[in-house]
Amino acid sequence: MSPEQTSLLQGTLDLLILKSLRAGEMHGLGISRRIQQLTGGTFVVKPGSLFPALHRMEEEGWIAAFWGESENNRRAKYYRMSKAGQKQLEAETKRWSRISLAIGQALEAS
Amino acid sequence: MPLLVKARSFLRNLFFTRRVDADLDQEVHSHLELLIEEKIRAGMPAAEARRAARIELGGVEQVKEQVRDSRTGAFLDSLLQDFRFAIRSLRRTSGLTVFVVITLALGIGMTSATFSMVDALIFRPYPVPHPSNVVTLVGTTHDSSYENFSYREYRDIRDNTKSYDGVIAYAEMQAVGFSAEPGVTPRIKGGVMVSGNFFRVLGVEPGLGRGFRADEDQVPGRDAVVVLGPDFWRHEFASDPGVVGKTIRLNGTMFTVIGVAPDSFPGLLTFGHPDLYVPLAMAPVFSTNLGKNFFEDRDDRELTVKARLKMGTSLQDARNELAVLAKGFERDYPNVTRSRGAAVYTQFQTRTIEDDNWKFGVVFVILALAVLLVACTNVAGLLLSRARERAREIAVRLALGAGRLRLIRLLLTESLILAILGGLAGIAIGYGVIEWFHSKDTIVFATELPLAVPFQMDKRVLLVCVGLSVLSAFLCGLAPALQSTRVDLVNALKSADVEVPGRKRLWGRNMLVVAQVSMSLMLLTAAFLMARGFEHDLMLDTGFTKDHLLMTTFDPRLIQYNATQTQQFYKLLAERMRETPGVQSEALTQNIPLGNDDFDGVTFVPDGFTMPPDRENFTVTMDTIDEGYFDTMGITILRGRAFAATDTADAPRVTIVNAHFAKHYWPGGDAVGKHIRLDNSAGAPVEIVGVAQTIKYQNMATPADFVYMPLAQHPVARMVLLLRSSGDPLQLLQPVKDAVRSLDPNLPLLQTRAYEEFYLNQAVRGPQIAIDLVGTMGLVGLLLAIAGLYGLVAYNVSRRTREIGIRMALGAVSSDVLRLVMGKGFVLVGTGTALGLVMGFALEQLMNSMLFDSGGVDVVAYLIVVPSLFLVAMLAAYVPARRACRIAPTQALRYE
Repeated sequence: MSPEQTSLLQGTLDLLILKSLRAGEMHGLGISRRIQQLTGGTFVVKPGSLFPALHRMEEEGWIAAFWGESENNRRAKYYRMSKAGQKQLEAETKRWSRISLAIGQALEAS
Repeated sequence: MPLLVKARSFLRNLFFTRRVDADLDQEVHSHLELLIEEKIRAGMPAAEARRAARIELGGVEQVKEQVRDSRTGAFLDSLLQDFRFAIRSLRRTSGLTVFVVITLALGIGMTSATFSMVDALIFRPYPVPHPSNVVTLVGTTHDSSYENFSYREYRDIRDNTKSYDGVIAYAEMQAVGFSAEPGVTPRIKGGVMVSGNFFRVLGVEPGLGRGFRADEDQVPGRDAVVVLGPDFWRHEFASDPGVVGKTIRLNGTMFTVIGVAPDSFPGLLTFGHPDLYVPLAMAPVFSTNLGKNFFEDRDDRELTVKARLKMGTSLQDARNELAVLAKGFERDYPNVTRSRGAAVYTQFQTRTIEDDNWKFGVVFVILALAVLLVACTNVAGLLLSRARERAREIAVRLALGAGRLRLIRLLLTESLILAILGGLAGIAIGYGVIEWFHSKDTIVFATELPLAVPFQMDKRVLLVCVGLSVLSAFLCGLAPALQSTRVDLVNALKSADVEVPGRKRLWGRNMLVVAQVSMSLMLLTAAFLMARGFEHDLMLDTGFTKDHLLMTTFDPRLIQYNATQTQQFYKLLAERMRETPGVQSEALTQNIPLGNDDFDGVTFVPDGFTMPPDRENFTVTMDTIDEGYFDTMGITILRGRAFAATDTADAPRVTIVNAHFAKHYWPGGDAVGKHIRLDNSAGAPVEIVGVAQTIKYQNMATPADFVYMPLAQHPVARMVLLLRSSGDPLQLLQPVKDAVRSLDPNLPLLQTRAYEEFYLNQAVRGPQIAIDLVGTMGLVGLLLAIAGLYGLVAYNVSRRTREIGIRMALGAVSSDVLRLVMGKGFVLVGTGTALGLVMGFALEQLMNSMLFDSGGVDVVAYLIVVPSLFLVAMLAAYVPARRACRIAPTQALRYE
């Protein structure tokens, strides 16, 4: 793991997972690769963080899981965003923009 | 909706663990497969891809564990897991488990039983709503910080204080002659005179009928109404609800039953549960002091005064207010209130001041806690030695990714289960001990009054048991848990013998040995001292003869005799008894020595004695007797004479004092012929005609000043008849009954027994029970300590078997090894002994100051206890050391 890879902020992982799932249903590895791609390789999500997050979010009702077939006809567990997840994503996005704006201002101020 | 989803997953996680787990397993595995596939597609060789994927995943089991931990209800789930696991592993070592549970049960059981004593004597709140607002108002004098108030004083306090939501007063529980119908010989019940606002201020709602109205306590002798106690109602009236409105006879007067106190209110007394409550205004029917007017005399102090503090009023405000009032009393009524103050006590203060018995309870609790501590160190030692055997298992768990905290929790769960089992068994033991206290033959109240042992296994005691269990779980589980999870993984997995004898580790175990030796030494010393203290009390000479004495009590007020009739009755009774065959001598006395009832006090000024500047008079205890008393009781008259038939009501007033009194006020000269003046220096002079030998009066404690008055000059209604018999005193029973029947068939005989039997119950049995209790605790403590000590020391030595083998192989001889091992044991036991001596010494000081007041150090106790404990400890080191020396070096090196 390269040193530039920043560790994820608390709560940010949920946001990134929801964001990835907006494109459609996906299995764990797919989500992990999608996050990597979305963040330009800054964030690499390890399974040890990914799976607990997925299961927690499923219990929250933001995403739903089902067994499906992968591109290569392998059985894999897929995740899909629920209505509650949609709402959560919107709320989290707003919150995040506010935070990043505020932090940005704070850092630019002399 | 999300809540519902959450609840569903919670239940699913809890009840379909297997399916959820299988699902997770598949998911992680499929993830791994996908990873491998991805890497192969990227051009990696298959084997390389497999390896890289595994590294990236970071371990299938670890990922699964992380997911499990993040799930809803994960905590509960893992707790259940811990419990299941702990129970399984405890069952595997059932022998050890049983031993540990018994050990803890003994400690917890003893602590809970003794705590129930202290709770009943001090802490248990009054059985009324908001009990903490109820305070006690008392008078204070030079000699006492707990004095009752008179009726007049009570009324002044009630009407002139603003700190309270009501001030109540009640008299001591007294024997009342009760008959449901006229013409039946009355039976003795316990009655309490209370102020009219008693139930209202306390907030006690009657279970049936009503409480007193304010106007029922205003006119002396007008409103003959009675409220029944719940037990009395149950036993005498079979819980008949129609009892309200009925009339019953109390001391021969008709009373109307207006209500029944609720079951939740057995009264305010610690030991007694009153049968009857009557208004103070009915005092003429019940009052004990014939010489005083209950309603008028400010020094007829018979009332306990309690009050409910107003919300927002501080105790200090109330104290200040009462102090001002007491100053006013002193100013307005100097004759009867000279140098009397007043104080307001909380429940705790009241209970600790009015009765000293709680001190024994506290010492018992300390001893029981010491037993529990010894038990805990025992268990800790056992768990510690077991932890070593489990070191490998723990190392494997740690290697597989279990967190240290998680493992500590698991091990603590184990000791918690042990402690809970021990706690349950302890509750059973505590319950057994309390039941034993309640059983008829253990504590005998030689009285007709409704007294009962107040110790009980209630919610509060149970709570303490639970607390103790949890505490002991931590005490005995934490150290072993911390230690056994602090393993060097590599070493642990390599060999079974993981224990690198680190200094720290040995230190812990050595601490246990030291703690055990010192605790048990303290326990034994205390037990020994206490037993000796009580025995010392028992051995003391009482100063009078106890055998061949029959006692029986009369109270002619129960059948409405007036003062003249009463004195006539006693005169005739004494004459009849003297003529009865088998009666060697006869005596009448107001109180018997070492009896249940307190002696009256007499206030006086000794003639010719220089009073201290701040005192107006002295008060000492007294007894009223007839002329046969000293002969019958075998009390020697040292100087002067005993009372004689010539000391009649018309003759000059005379008194006899005890030797202690005589020496106190006339240290150089002869007290005979001197006078004391009653009440104050202007009071009636009474001539001292004799000095009697000092005996034991109220209790076995230090000798005190004492005064005797002749019955003819100091009439008392309730008297005890004492008969000295030539043979078995109980053979006089029938002649006494016959004589009384011929005088008045309605007069009941109260508390009729042989004095010796009464004395044994009263003065011997209590200390005997205490000795039994303390002895049991000491013995249990010693046995536990021996078992634990032996285990610990032997274990420590056996741990060194290999080392000893090496030493032997290198040429050490048995005596060197023995010296080595024993030397170590010697140092530990020595340290423990030194510590135990210090603690035992401190406890002895405490006990001396609280209980026995014997001063000094009991050397004998230490001489017996210290060497015996030392011997045990040294034996515990010797046996395994000996064995270790005997085995061949080759074998020792292969050992384990």
